[in-house]
Amino acid sequence: MRLHRIRLRDFRGVHDREITLAEHGVTVLQGDNEVGKTSTLAALDLLFDAADSSRRAEIRHAQPAGVDAGPEVEAEVSTGPYRFVYRKRWLRRPSTELSVLEPARQQFTGAEAHARVTAMLDETMDRVLWRTLRVEQHTAVGQADLGGQDALTRALDRAASGPTGATGSTARPDPSVDDGLVARAADELRRYRTPSGRATGELRAAEVRRADAEAEHERCRAALEAVERDVAARDRLDAELAGVRARRRAHGDEVAELEDRWAALQSRLREVDAARGRAVLARERAEAARERREARDALVAAAEADAAAAETAAAAVAAHEAEHAAAHDERDARRGADTAARADAVAARRAADAAARAVTAARDRAELADLTERLRRVAEAQAGLDAAERVLADTTVDEDALAELEHLARDLLRAEAARDAAAARVELTAPAPLTVVVDGEEVPLGPGETRTLPVAGARALSVPGVLDVRVRPGLDEAGRDDAVRERARELADACEERGVADLEAARAALRAADDAARRVEEHRAALARELVGHDHAAALRAAHDAVRRRLDDAPAGQDDLAALHTAADEALAAAEEAANRAEEADAACRTAEDAVRKADTRAAVLAERAADARHAHTRRVEELRAARAEEPDAALATAEHERLTRAREAEREHEALAAALAGDDPDTVEARVVNARAVAERLAGEVARLEREHAETTGRLQAAGHQGWHDQLAAAEAELDAAVREHEAVTRRSSAARRLHESLTRHRDRVRRSYVAPFRAQVERLARIVFGPTLSLEIDEDLRITHRTLDGTTVAFGALSSGAQEQLGLCARLACAALVDPADGVPVVIDDALGHTDPERLARLGAVFTAATAAAGAAQVVVLTCTPERYHGIGAATVVPLAPSRRPRERGASDRAAPVHVADDVPAATPGTVLDLPRAPRAG
Amino acid sequence: MRFVHTADWQLGMTRRYLGARPAREAGGPTGEAQARFAEARLDAVRALGRIADEADAAFVLVCGDVFESNLVGPEVVARACEALGSFRTPVLLLPGNHDPADASCLLRRPDFVRRRPPHVTVLDTPGVHAVAPGVEVVAAPWRSKHPLSDLVGEQLAALDPAPPGTLRVVAGHGELDVLDPDDDEPARIRRDGVLAALADGRVHYVALGDRHSAWADAADDRIRHAGTPEVTDFDEVDPGHVLVVDLDEHAARVRTETVGRWRFVRHYAALDTDADLDALDAWLAARADKERTAVRLVLRGTLSLRQRTRLDELLGGHGHAFASLEILEPHSDLATVPDDADLDALDLHGFAADAAAELFAAAGRASEGAGDVEARDALRLLHRLVGS
Repeated sequence: MRLHRIRLRDFRGVHDREITLAEHGVTVLQGDNEVGKTSTLAALDLLFDAADSSRRAEIRHAQPAGVDAGPEVEAEVSTGPYRFVYRKRWLRRPSTELSVLEPARQQFTGAEAHARVTAMLDETMDRVLWRTLRVEQHTAVGQADLGGQDALTRALDRAASGPTGATGSTARPDPSVDDGLVARAADELRRYRTPSGRATGELRAAEVRRADAEAEHERCRAALEAVERDVAARDRLDAELAGVRARRRAHGDEVAELEDRWAALQSRLREVDAARGRAVLARERAEAARERREARDALVAAAEADAAAAETAAAAVAAHEAEHAAAHDERDARRGADTAARADAVAARRAADAAARAVTAARDRAELADLTERLRRVAEAQAGLDAAERVLADTTVDEDALAELEHLARDLLRAEAARDAAAARVELTAPAPLTVVVDGEEVPLGPGETRTLPVAGARALSVPGVLDVRVRPGLDEAGRDDAVRERARELADACEERGVADLEAARAALRAADDAARRVEEHRAALARELVGHDHAAALRAAHDAVRRRLDDAPAGQDDLAALHTAADEALAAAEEAANRAEEADAACRTAEDAVRKADTRAAVLAERAADARHAHTRRVEELRAARAEEPDAALATAEHERLTRAREAEREHEALAAALAGDDPDTVEARVVNARAVAERLAGEVARLEREHAETTGRLQAAGHQGWHDQLAAAEAELDAAVREHEAVTRRSSAARRLHESLTRHRDRVRRSYVAPFRAQVERLARIVFGPTLSLEIDEDLRITHRTLDGTTVAFGALSSGAQEQLGLCARLACAALVDPADGVPVVIDDALGHTDPERLARLGAVFTAATAAAGAAQVVVLTCTPERYHGIGAATVVPLAPSRRPRERGASDRAAPVHVADDVPAATPGTVLDLPRAPRAG
Repeated sequence: MRFVHTADWQLGMTRRYLGARPAREAGGPTGEAQARFAEARLDAVRALGRIADEADAAFVLVCGDVFESNLVGPEVVARACEALGSFRTPVLLLPGNHDPADASCLLRRPDFVRRRPPHVTVLDTPGVHAVAPGVEVVAAPWRSKHPLSDLVGEQLAALDPAPPGTLRVVAGHGELDVLDPDDDEPARIRRDGVLAALADGRVHYVALGDRHSAWADAADDRIRHAGTPEVTDFDEVDPGHVLVVDLDEHAARVRTETVGRWRFVRHYAALDTDADLDALDAWLAARADKERTAVRLVLRGTLSLRQRTRLDELLGGHGHAFASLEILEPHSDLATVPDDADLDALDLHGFAADAAAELFAAAGRASEGAGDVEARDALRLLHRLVGS
C-alpha cells in the first residue's frame, strides 16, 4: 500500500489540510506540537476502520470543539492493482464515498464503499504488518513483533528458498492459508486442553462425566451387592435359626434332669451343714469347760503368789527399821554440833562489834574537838559583824546625800562669787607694810601689795589707829548678799538634816560607813567558812551537842585509831570464820534432816506395801474360798472331761455325713447344672440375636425392593458405557488435535528458522551503518533480535541502552520494509521517535533510512516529528513542514459538501506540498 | 385342555445401546428408545393375554424370569400388574433365575402382592398345584440364584403317576443338559429323567423357560422352550413368540403365535470400495421398522480417509432413524489408510504440506500402533480444518 495524499477537515485541531506524500523513500512531516501530526495518522486509521455511522470515543474526540461540523478525512491510496480516493465524514451528516481510479473507474457510497475498501485492503495488504511497522508517539521504539507477519514471511520465504524455488515455494492461490491453519489447529487443541496441558472444555466435561458415571455405577453396584449379601444372609440366618432352636429344645431336657439331681443333693447338703453346726457347738462348750478349770488353777496359784508377796513386804519393813534409827541418831548429833557452832559465831560477832564501837568513839572525840573550835570562831565573827553593822546603822550620810551637800556648797560658792564679782571692790594697797583690819580681821598688807576687797555688804576697814572706813554697798549689792545668805542657810539646813556639822563632817561619816561595810563582808566570809556543812550556827551547835551526847555513852579509851582499826579487823575476821563454821554445821544438820525424812518416807511406803500385799492375799484367799464353795475343783475337772467327749462324738458324726455326701460328688453336679443353665442362656441369646438379624435383614430387603436398584444399576451401566465411549472419542480427538498442532508448529518453526538468515542479513546491513562493521546480531525464530555483538562483546537485547534498542528496532522495521514485496509493502510510520539517539548516530541513521528506501519499489517511510534536526541526516527525505490550520471564525456555518478530490481534478500536486487552502464559502 | 406356554418376559430389562441419560437422573426408564423397548415388552404381555383370552385357554403359564430382577423398581411392578390385569385368563408365574423365590423375591414383595390381579397365581412353592379340575401344574421354582440340583428332576422323582383323567404340566426353568452340556452346572435339567417321566405318564407336558429362543425336543415335542415374547438380544433365534398348547394324555398340539415387534439384527459387511459403502447404505435404508430395530455392524476392510469420512457420515445419518446403530468394535476389523488422493485433496503448501506429508507417512505405515491411529485422526482433523 502506498499513501499519496491525506486530507483532514475539522479533525481535532486541523481545520482543513491536505498533505501529499512522496511515493518512494522518506517523507518527513515536521511541525510544532499540536499542529496535527499524530491526528493525521489517527485519521487514517479511522478512515479505514470506522464506519461513518460510528460514534466511537476517538471519533467523538476528533470533532473540533465548538464547531457544528463532523470530522472528515479523505485519502488517496494505491494498493496492489488498485488506486482509489476514499472519503468519510462522521457525526454530522455522515457520508462515505469511494472513487476507484485503477484498474477501472468505479464509484461507491455508504456501507458498500466501506465494504469495498475493506475487501481491497484485505486482499492486497498485510494490515497487521501495517500496525506493526508503526512507531507510536511516546512509546519506546522496541522490538516489533515480526514473527507472524504474512507479508514478511512470504518475503523471507522467497529469500530462504532462493530464486530457483525449492520445497513448498510453488505458487499458491491463497498463500496466507498456512498460518491460519496453525491458528485453527491451536484453536482446535484449545477446545480440549489449556496451553499448560490441562484438560478443558469437551475433554474435561467427558472426564467429569466418566468419573461421575463410574461413581454412580459403583454406588449402584455396591447397593445391589449389598442386597445380594442380604439375600444370602437371610438364607444363612434361616438355617442357623432352625439349628439353634433344635439345639435349644434338646438342651432343655438335659437341664431338667440335672436340676432334679441338684435339688436332691441340696437337701443332703443342708443335713451336713446341721451336723457341722452341732459339732462346732459341742466343741465350743468343751472349750468353755476347759477354760473354767484353767481359771480355777490360776486362782490357786495367784493366792499362793500373794502370800509370798506379803511375806516379802513384811521382811522389807523389818530390814528398814535399823537404817531408819541410824538416820535419826545422825541427825541428833548434827543438831548438837550446829548449836555449838552458832554460839561461837555469836561470840565472835560481839567481839567484832565492840572493836568497831571503840573505833567510832575515838573518831567522835576528834570530831567534837573540831566542832568546839569552829563554834568559838563563829562567835568571834558574829561579834565583829554585829559591831560593824551598828556603825553602818549609825551612818546618816550616804553617797547621794553627800552629793547633794556638795551641790549646795557649790551653789553657795557660786552665789558668793557672783556677789563678789558684782560688788564694788576696795583695793587696798599699802606702800608700806601695813595691817588693816577688815571687818574685824587683820589683813597684813605687804609693800606694794594690793588687796582687793569686794564690797558685798557693809564692810568695815580700819587701820588701826589711823582710820576707820565703812563701806556700804548700794541697794543691788545688798540683794546679792541676801542670795549668798540664802544659800548658806540651805547648806546649813541640809547638813543639819543629815546630822552632820558641815560638808567635811559628812565626808568623814561616809568614809567611816565604807570601812564598816568592808568589815561586815570580812566577818560574813569567816562565818560562811566556819559553817560549811551546816546551815547556820545553831545546826553546828546541834551537831556538836549530838557528838558530845554520843561520847557520854562511850567508854573512855585510848584514841589510837590505827591500833583500834587493826583490832577491829581481826575481830571481824574471827567473826566471819565462826559464821562459816556455823553455816557448815547447819548444812550438815539439814542433810541429816533430809536423810531422816527419806528414811521416814521409805518406812511408810514399805509399810503400805506390806499392808496392800496382806490385803490382796486376804481377798484372793476369800475369792478362792468362795469359788470352791460354789464349785469344787473336782467338779470342774469332771465337767471338762465330759464335754470334751461329747464334742468328739459330734465331730465324728459330721465327718461321717460329709464323707457320705462327698461320695456323691455334689461339686460336679453343681458345675454341670451351672454350665447347663449358662448354655441355655447362651442359646436363648443366640436365638434372640439371630431373630434380630433376621428381622433387620428382612427389613432391609423390603426397603431395597422399593429402591429399584436393578433399574438404577442398568441406567448407570448404560450411562457409564456412553460416558466411556464419549471420553474415548474425545480423547482421540484431543490427541489428534495435539498431534496435528505439534506437527504443524514443528514444521512452521523449521521454516521460520530458515527465515532468520535473510532477515538477519538485511537487519545487519542497516545496523552496521549505525554501529560499524563489527556488528553482528542473533535473531530467534520469531524474528526478534536477541543479542547484539559489537567489537566481540555480546549483549542481550534487553540489556542494551534505550538508544541502542531504539536504533535496532528502527533498523528491524526498515529492514522489514525493505524486504517485503513492493506489492505487499506498507508504509513505515515513525511518530517522533529517536529521542534517545545521540547526534552522531542520528546522522548515521539518516544513512540507514536512505539505504532502506533506496531500492526500486521500496516501501514508503513517513516520519512525524517536532524536532526536524533529528531527521536532517536523511538524504533522500521529502520534508513537509506543517503549520497550524486554524478555522476562520467567520466561516463557522459554511456548507462544506465538496466533491471528492479526484487526483485528476487536482492540479498536479507535487509530493511534499501542503495545501492549506482557504475555502471559499459555497452557496447551496 | 388348552393353555398358553410362555417365559422370560424379563420385565424391567434395559439395553445400554438403546441409549442412556446421565446417571444422576436414573431411576426410571432411560432414553427414548429404552422407554419404547420397555413398553414393547409390556405390549407383548398384553398381546399374549389377548391371544389366551381369544383361544379360551385355561391358563397362561409363565416359566420363570417374569421380571428382569427381583430388584426392579415399583414402576416396573406397577406397569406389569396393569398389563396382567388387561386380560382375564388365569396366569401362573414361576420364579426363575432372574427373579428367584429368595428373601428378596419380587413376587412376594408387598408392592406386587398388593397390585397383583386376582387371576394371577405365584408358583413360589415347589410341588403339585391343582390349577383347574383335572389339571395339575408341577412347579419347580428357583429358590435362589444358584441352586445346587436339578430342580425339575427332583420334582419328577417325587411324583407318582398322574391319576387317571388328570393332566400334569411341569413348569420349570433352566437349560436341558443336551442344550448346554456344562458338566460343572449342577442345576442342568436331566433330559433322561424328563423323557422317562413323560413316558410313564407322571407328567404330560414339560414347559420350560430360560432359553430366549423357541425350542422343542426332537425326541418328544412335549418338552419345549417357549422363548421370550419380545427380543432381548442379538444372538436369539426366532424370538417373539408364545405357544398355545392343546394337551391331552398322549400328545400336545402346539401353535406358535407371534407377539414380539422388535428386531435386534447383526449385520456383517466388507468395506473396501465405494461400492461396498453404497451397498451398506442401501441395506440400512431397506430396513423396515427402523425405530424398533437395533443394528450391530461387524465391518471388515480398508478405507481411505475420504471413504472413512463418508462411512461416518453415512452411519450418522442412518443412526438417527434406528433405535440403535453401532459398530461392534471387538469383532470388526476396519482400517483407515489415507491414499494419495487424500493428500492431494488437501492442497497444502509450504510447511503445512510438509507436516501433512509426515502425518500421511505415519498413518500409512503397515503397523497398527496407536500412534498411527492418532496420525490418521490428525489427518482427518486437518481435512476438516482445511475445508473450513
